[in-house]
Amino acid sequence: MSWDKKLINQANKIIKQYPQKRSALGPLLHLAQSKDGYISDDSIEVISELIGITEVQVKSVSTFYSMYKQEPTGKYLISVCKSISCEISNSSDVIKKVQEITGLNNNETDEEGIFTFEKVECIGACGGAPAIQINYETVEGMTPESTESLFNWLKENQPKVIVADILQEKFGGTRSFEWGIKDNSGTIASVPGFQNFNTVGESK
Amino acid sequence: MNEMVKINVNGIEIQADNNKLLIEACEDSGIHIPRFCWHKRLDPVGMCRMCLVEVDTPRGKALVPSCTTKVTPNLVVDTESEVVKKAQEGVLEFLLINHPLDCPICDKAGECPLQDQTVSYGPGESRFVEEKRHFEKPISISEIILLDRERCILCARCTRFSDEISGDPLIEFVQRGNKTEVNTFPNEPFRSYFSGNTVQICPVGALTSTSYRFKARPWDLKATTSTCNGCTVGCTVELNASQNKMLRILGVDNDSVNQGWLCDKGRYNFEFLNNQSRLKESLEKVNEKFEIISNKDLINKLKNKILNNENKVKFLLGTNLTNEEYAAFNEFSALISKSKSDFYLSDDYLFNGYFEKNISLATFNNLDTADTIVIWSEDIKENLPILYLRVRQAVKNGTKLIILGHNNSTLKDIASDFYSSDIIDENFELKVQPENLKNLKDAVIGKNVTAIIGKSSPYQNKKSLDLLVSFLNENSNLSLLNSFSKGNSFGAFQNLDSVKGLPDLCKDFEEDLPEVLFIVGADPIGSSVLTNKITSILEKINCIVSLDLFIHQTNELANYVVPMNSTVSEKEGTFTNIEFRSSKINKITPSPGKALSENEFLSNLLSSLGKSTDFLSVHELNTKVAENNFNQVNKITFDELDKPSNFDGIISGKEVNINCTFFIEDKSLYYVGRKLYGDSVTQRNSQSISILGSKKYIQANLSTIKTLDLEAGKCYIEQNGLKLSSELIINENIPDGLIYFPINRRNFVKYNFAEKINISNISNEDILSVQ
Ligand code: SF4
Ligand code: SF4
Ligand code: FES
Ligand code: FES
Repeated sequence: MSWDKKLINQANKIIKQYPQKRSALGPLLHLAQSKDGYISDDSIEVISELIGITEVQVKSVSTFYSMYKQEPTGKYLISVCKSISCEISNSSDVIKKVQEITGLNNNETDEEGIFTFEKVECIGACGGAPAIQINYETVEGMTPESTESLFNWLKENQPKVIVADILQEKFGGTRSFEWGIKDNSGTIASVPGFQNFNTVGESK
Repeated sequence: MNEMVKINVNGIEIQADNNKLLIEACEDSGIHIPRFCWHKRLDPVGMCRMCLVEVDTPRGKALVPSCTTKVTPNLVVDTESEVVKKAQEGVLEFLLINHPLDCPICDKAGECPLQDQTVSYGPGESRFVEEKRHFEKPISISEIILLDRERCILCARCTRFSDEISGDPLIEFVQRGNKTEVNTFPNEPFRSYFSGNTVQICPVGALTSTSYRFKARPWDLKATTSTCNGCTVGCTVELNASQNKMLRILGVDNDSVNQGWLCDKGRYNFEFLNNQSRLKESLEKVNEKFEIISNKDLINKLKNKILNNENKVKFLLGTNLTNEEYAAFNEFSALISKSKSDFYLSDDYLFNGYFEKNISLATFNNLDTADTIVIWSEDIKENLPILYLRVRQAVKNGTKLIILGHNNSTLKDIASDFYSSDIIDENFELKVQPENLKNLKDAVIGKNVTAIIGKSSPYQNKKSLDLLVSFLNENSNLSLLNSFSKGNSFGAFQNLDSVKGLPDLCKDFEEDLPEVLFIVGADPIGSSVLTNKITSILEKINCIVSLDLFIHQTNELANYVVPMNSTVSEKEGTFTNIEFRSSKINKITPSPGKALSENEFLSNLLSSLGKSTDFLSVHELNTKVAENNFNQVNKITFDELDKPSNFDGIISGKEVNINCTFFIEDKSLYYVGRKLYGDSVTQRNSQSISILGSKKYIQANLSTIKTLDLEAGKCYIEQNGLKLSSELIINENIPDGLIYFPINRRNFVKYNFAEKINISNISNEDILSVQ
């Protein structure tokens, strides 16, 4: 198996939370995503073995959902909202800026494997439009300028853990409301930070 | 509860079963609703929306898919309204957006539901001018199945079949939206024993088989209904031929037997019929070589042999004859010899079985009504594939399953108990009395039990089987299937006066060697674990006459070889399946070359001997078999078998004449079994599936492999100068310490399993030099 002991233990803990093994498929795919930055065929084989369904059944689910990536993502997955609220608040300028800085087209990853850029539909932060996500941690009220500083900061510090509140404080504009979980400890990969799946950063 | 209720369809009141879906209920009353995804034998999904109809609801008329709507009392339905028509046109226009419309080169054209329904319900023209989506034209998803994704309309019939029915979901939808396609996981091909069914139920030409691809146009095909004689299940099939060539076999929905499905071996193991190397002339061995001999000369020569040795003529029969042919041999032998003759059947798993009067014999439908199914037999997935599907189906509907023995591990996941090496030793003897198995006891005492019972290995003694059967018979309401798996074995049991096995043949012939031995459609040297013994016996016999389709390892030893007609499509007669169900075998292609039918051959021989041959007329035989088998019970004649009301076949009299006295005495040191695909004469000569039975491998669990100081991978198997290269594969379902040999792989039977066989890994350097 290409998963190490630690990850397998983690997986088994998740599987135990469900009455049927196969129900753990979704979270296990997040684990796979956090391991490689995408769902590798290797991981699919491991998961299929762990929960007793065939590889192609795992593949079927993993290729259905857009958040399970089929190609490796960079260290930071930049998702910029292109839906209506953001669009009328100038998200196209933010998008342009991101593309200018990274030189990437939609769904591309740079050669160094630092950034992956994608345009996404509404990410539920319309009140603070335009919004952007770094590894699924949301920042609201972005402008082309704040976007530039955000990228400079990311490039310079290359933080291991991304935490929404910190980004918001440093680079965000108006926030719609106090959303999100208390004590958010952020994410460590291009996968949402789930406390019980261990895809979060170090607890604060 | 099932109840007939009134519903109104298109202004007409009809009676409908309230347990059925609207689409099926309408069909029962002759109202056809178009559909792609719905299939009677699969769970409904409502994927394609072709079956939309209008129903009255409290909020007015609404369009609903009739394949997911249940019949309710007083439902008012319109299947032909303007709204419905518009919906149908819309659905078809959308389906055709990405459809390549390459009907001129598509195998399905002419019998394609998409084509037909577009003509009947489609919009006539398309507004779509953009580029269609493209995929690589057919990709092979297994050795025998091809997939053309451009043609796929995403109805999920194939994926549901492999998940719900065959239980090997190796194909699935991948990607999403416009990009959705059916596919396999890379390096994990759609290797299912039942894959051909997906080709048959695909409503477009997306799935095709290598066997039939580009072979014919449906409108050029002749068709007849018949019975598969691949195993004792006896599935109902449709034979398709064109220009006197068999081209395809389709499954027919026989509710009592195969419910529309076939295994791939039954479906594709017919290609040998058209094989160039088939025997077309009679042969005589002159100076160690076969030379052509005319049928007339042959009969003359045989006549003399028989006249001189009347009581020393014996018969070794294969399992693929029709009932009529068995009856003919039976009569023939009675006429030429003064003493009663024994017939030896070429099947290592034969023994006397459980046919006593106090045991009631089961039909497949008993599986559905049983509380518990108990299996201790050969691997049924490998040897009785459609019975395997029926068992899966019954378990899915709530029946409990208990398995004994090391076989049938593919049913382990759905079995409530799987008694393997803890309870049963390596010789298939019970280590514990059945009454001490608590779960078994709980599941059978006072319950309706259907048991599938037979030898798990040629070497198994019946002692423990006896124990189990009498335990079940005493404690439950038992119905039992004797799981002899080969061809028309049950027809042989019914129509021959005395059937014996190969161990008997060895014993009997060692004492008293026959002068003339007829071997009919049997290759024991290529298939029996007694091959070495049988070879040395046959070598001593003066005159062997083989009736067969091909030259093979056994009839290479014969003095005369006579070409035969194949039961698949070249003769008419009857077949008796494992439930004692009699059904018709029909003819659709002519005999090749100078092949005679068995009756013709025998009656020529008899008349040359100056005996009456009246009974050998086809009509007499049919009448006789009918009398012998099903007529007594049901007063049904041979001709009446073809009536629609007898479509499911007739359960016939359950008299059998098996007189085995001997078992194989040796104890096997290895675990042996037969796989669906193997090295049989017919499969070797059927192009598209020949490769499936050619791979040589053995299996063991990891700890056994380690204990033996071996590694999984290439290995040599060596014993007494016979050295074969093979693959050693890990299989955790094999009990500790045992090594599994699929004995129907080429030359595997030549090993003596009672003695040690050396297994050694092949190093990389060796592999290079081997290649
Ligand atoms: S391949 Fe055929 S059966 Fe399978 S989903 Fe496509 S159209 Fe349906
Ligand atoms: S299960 Fe047996 S009878 Fe049915 S198709 Fe297969 S070989 Fe033929
Ligand atoms: S539209 Fe951008 S967050 Fe809702
Ligand atoms: S047949 Fe009803 S939705 Fe496909």
